[in-house]
Amino acid sequence: MAQTNPPFMSGVPELLLLRLLQQQEMYGYELIKSIKTVTSDAISIGEGVIYPVLHSLERKGALKARRKAVNGRTRVYYSVTAKGRKRLDRLHGEWQRIESGITAALGSPGHA
Amino acid sequence: MPDVRLQEFERQLLRGGVAPSHARRSTLEIDEHLQDLQDNAVEDGMSQSSATTFAQEQMGDLQLIADDIICRVELKTWACRYPRAASVVLPVAYLALLPTKPLFAGVENAHIIARWGGCLMLGAFITAAMFLGMQLSIALN
Repeated sequence: MAQTNPPFMSGVPELLLLRLLQQQEMYGYELIKSIKTVTSDAISIGEGVIYPVLHSLERKGALKARRKAVNGRTRVYYSVTAKGRKRLDRLHGEWQRIESGITAALGSPGHA
Repeated sequence: MPDVRLQEFERQLLRGGVAPSHARRSTLEIDEHLQDLQDNAVEDGMSQSSATTFAQEQMGDLQLIADDIICRVELKTWACRYPRAASVVLPVAYLALLPTKPLFAGVENAHIIARWGGCLMLGAFITAAMFLGMQLSIALN
């Protein structure tokens, strides 16, 4: 049976968040700034969309959250768990497969 | 304290069956994020009102964010995730806990009970003192 690609579009924020949080723990605003930096502003998203993804990943055990008071503000820092690292590897592999498929399609003789 | 829009956002999440812990934390995080955006915009030279508008635009539509959270089953309360099990377990649990209701009510209203108890004790003491006085007056006459 052909393998479908559910994370093709909806998995992009998840992939980015897991990748960035693998390097260091961050809170929402920091994550958005990092996404803009690492993608050179190529990916523009409504900044609030990351919170449902972060909470969902936390519920699935891929992330863990902790509250920290910084300069009178309450920050919720996220970090990747072992389960999250496995999920990242899987999503990364999925993404590479899609990327190579699209690259092959764009490079095919039929493409103008 | 989150503004009216965020308070409505949180209420909407709770009405949609989102677990209170996630609803509260989402509101807190979005509130903090908006403040960060505003602060940075003001630092970059924007006026306060322009910074507020800019922050809201950057954040995106709160309605869409709420819809996204509500449609995620894993963020809902246990009763919303397993409605059939909840329809069986919750009434049984409620009936089982019903006898303890007076105890909880007592703990909740401990200060009122203490005041009533104090008044009763005082009344009993005054009555006893009056009876004692009457008894002594009879005995001494």
